[in-house]
Amino acid sequence: MNFLTFARICKELEGISGRLDRISFLSKAMEECSVEDLPSFIQLLMGRPFPDWSQEKLGIGPNLLYDAVAYVIGRKKEDVIETINRIGDVGSAVETLMAGKEQMSFFQDELTLSDVHDALITIAGSSGERSQRDKTRMIQRLLSDASPLEARYIAGILLEDMRIGIGEGTIRDAIALLTGTDPLLIEHGIQVINDIGQVAILARTNRDALQKLTITLFHPVRMMLAKQGTIGGALTGFGSVIAENKYDGARFQFHTDGNAGRIYSRKLEDVTDALPDVVSLLQEAAAGHTVILDGEIVAVKEGRILPFQNVLKRFRRKHNISAARDEVELVPYLFDMLFLDGDTLIDSPFTYRREKLEAAIPRFVAPQITGSDKDTIELFYHEALDAGHEGIMLKNPGSRYTPGVRGKDWIKIKPEVDTLDLAVIGAQWGEGKRAHLYGSFLLACREDDRFLPVSRVATGFSDEHLVWLYNELNSSVVRTQGKDLFFEPRMVFEIGYAEIQESPGYETGYALRFPRFIRVRDDKDIDEVNTRSDILYRYFQQGRRDNNAC
Amino acid sequence: MIVATINSETLRESIETISALVVECRVHFESDQVYVRAVDSANVAMVCLHLDRQAFIDLDVTPGEIGLDIARFKNIFSMLGKAEKVTLHLPDKENKIKVSFLGYQYAITLLEAATIKKDPNPPNIELPGKIVIKGSYLYSAIRAAAVVSDKVWFGISPQSKGFFMSAEGDSDHIRREFSSEELISVNDADVKSLFSIDYLKEMGKVLSNADEVTISLGDNHPIKFSFDIAGGAGHVEYLLAPRIEAE
Repeated sequence: MNFLTFARICKELEGISGRLDRISFLSKAMEECSVEDLPSFIQLLMGRPFPDWSQEKLGIGPNLLYDAVAYVIGRKKEDVIETINRIGDVGSAVETLMAGKEQMSFFQDELTLSDVHDALITIAGSSGERSQRDKTRMIQRLLSDASPLEARYIAGILLEDMRIGIGEGTIRDAIALLTGTDPLLIEHGIQVINDIGQVAILARTNRDALQKLTITLFHPVRMMLAKQGTIGGALTGFGSVIAENKYDGARFQFHTDGNAGRIYSRKLEDVTDALPDVVSLLQEAAAGHTVILDGEIVAVKEGRILPFQNVLKRFRRKHNISAARDEVELVPYLFDMLFLDGDTLIDSPFTYRREKLEAAIPRFVAPQITGSDKDTIELFYHEALDAGHEGIMLKNPGSRYTPGVRGKDWIKIKPEVDTLDLAVIGAQWGEGKRAHLYGSFLLACREDDRFLPVSRVATGFSDEHLVWLYNELNSSVVRTQGKDLFFEPRMVFEIGYAEIQESPGYETGYALRFPRFIRVRDDKDIDEVNTRSDILYRYFQQGRRDNNAC
Repeated sequence: MIVATINSETLRESIETISALVVECRVHFESDQVYVRAVDSANVAMVCLHLDRQAFIDLDVTPGEIGLDIARFKNIFSMLGKAEKVTLHLPDKENKIKVSFLGYQYAITLLEAATIKKDPNPPNIELPGKIVIKGSYLYSAIRAAAVVSDKVWFGISPQSKGFFMSAEGDSDHIRREFSSEELISVNDADVKSLFSIDYLKEMGKVLSNADEVTISLGDNHPIKFSFDIAGGAGHVEYLLAPRIEAE
């Protein structure tokens, strides 16, 4: 497929608002796409160039893109930034700039979808001291062959922010419509291989194989997630529940084929090199088996459980790993098994998976109790809190493992703390001793594919935090406006607050009272921030609570 | 197989010529010449370099092409010291070229030629304006224009039969007229085109060493700079696409 055709499809999709209309349009567009192009078509449409299991990352900040645009159009980078500030959207600004290009070129090669995808693979693969130079050159090459409309979406792809509002659900339903496949089968395929492009190919060419998909070792599978709930609610829903501690640690997934072992974070990043101690513990425990395990890593010092940040520090560490390893001991707790010796287990009931886990792995299996008595579960909950855990997890004994789904089969019970996970979308320069750092941050919740501002936060930060945040965020600045800067949303803050108030000052219509920074949730993806409907729900819950108190 | 011995200054001059525009290129080896045709990543500027057999002290090659990381190759210039000659050696089916000088042997990994932009075909266009000028004059005028703007006009005024360059800044203006005494030759074509100074500055550094640079110019057309290197055993052409005036 020509990239121009792809760009026109994106443009047209922007103008279609109804979900069903989008699905129908998309399924027709996919029909015109060759089978070979289908994965790139889908991934690029979502603004996620690589399959979710893949470790490839583009690593392109806005500045790198602005440099390349300036070079290709023959203008200064300041002019590019000024246009972006004025228009407010990088893709549209790049389109405008390319249309007004003053520098002529000798020729333009026609871009195809696979040209663009190949260039992205090269960009992701460039490393070392010359990587910035190589990435810039590849972007220049792409843009010099692009029409203004193509450049608009190349910019969106490079910043992984397409702004056309196409999520996985829409793609799934479009594949289903195109191929006449049950959407649940498509969904199941995505859960198993974590690669929507390959699922689309199978749905189109080999439905039989789609039904028989098995998990691929070393292709991390999304983690199953839990909803907040109550003990009573879980008992009513499940009858009998399986209760486990909710560890204040970091979630992980471990894959081993008996020889090599790799460990993945909650965001499915390969963190094997940072955690050699955990890998060898698990390798030893799983000796003789090919397995995929799900669990939580907890930091322990002198027998005491340390807060979650200690584990995350180890996950992030790239240097001096052995020194860090001596400081804090990491202990894995295993609570699920997704794959054992060639068998995919995710469709089996939890009790069966647990039985297999206990039989195959003699160590590190997280303790659990099963019961239907509310008092017993409540006692277990209080014991968990006393032991320094976050709370407990209640699981439906008959439930399958649903990767990536925050379903009703796993319920987390923890003390009620009013916190939200919000995207950091902007900042304001500080004053006084914070003059060269960001002094406050603009936070947003999500509504579909949009980020809506809901609060600013300026308290709860140490000086070290602010220096670290400045260094982390300054390459993500998309535009500036006086003292305000706006970031490409990449970071998640956990924010504590006193209450949610109605506020016309923010697009959400709500604001947080006394917002306070708690921590950076770098185990969470930007798509996982709280939504506007979460905030609405909390607002009404809060009203109910206040009325009850009266 | 490539075995080539070359004067170190000729090698330096040739590599600088290419590195003004690109950081990697395909180098073609033939029995009687070595050549490079490359275009920058925005398809705006091209370089064509030809080195005749006479530019080499020794040249024994199996015809073919290699992918060269120019930026990496330039590392050797800081080591060359007083070396008078450099030998390049690439055995068949190897992907590292050995560069030997003054007892050093530096092996540079070659790039996969397929990953490098294809050789461009220089456009076949008529450029009626012809000016022959000393390279250093040209470079000085480019640098002067850069003081006020990021683009510069090149033109010939047919009445005065003079070549000029002029740049318009936000508040300042600069114009350099070359007298007939300063020019080796100029014709009377009525032509004028606008170009980016960023590219010209890079080309200008290389041009500045040439005694004679032939400029071919059109009206809102590309510009071509042709000059010799290696005492006439090498020839370079730079082509630069014009800018269009902003409204």
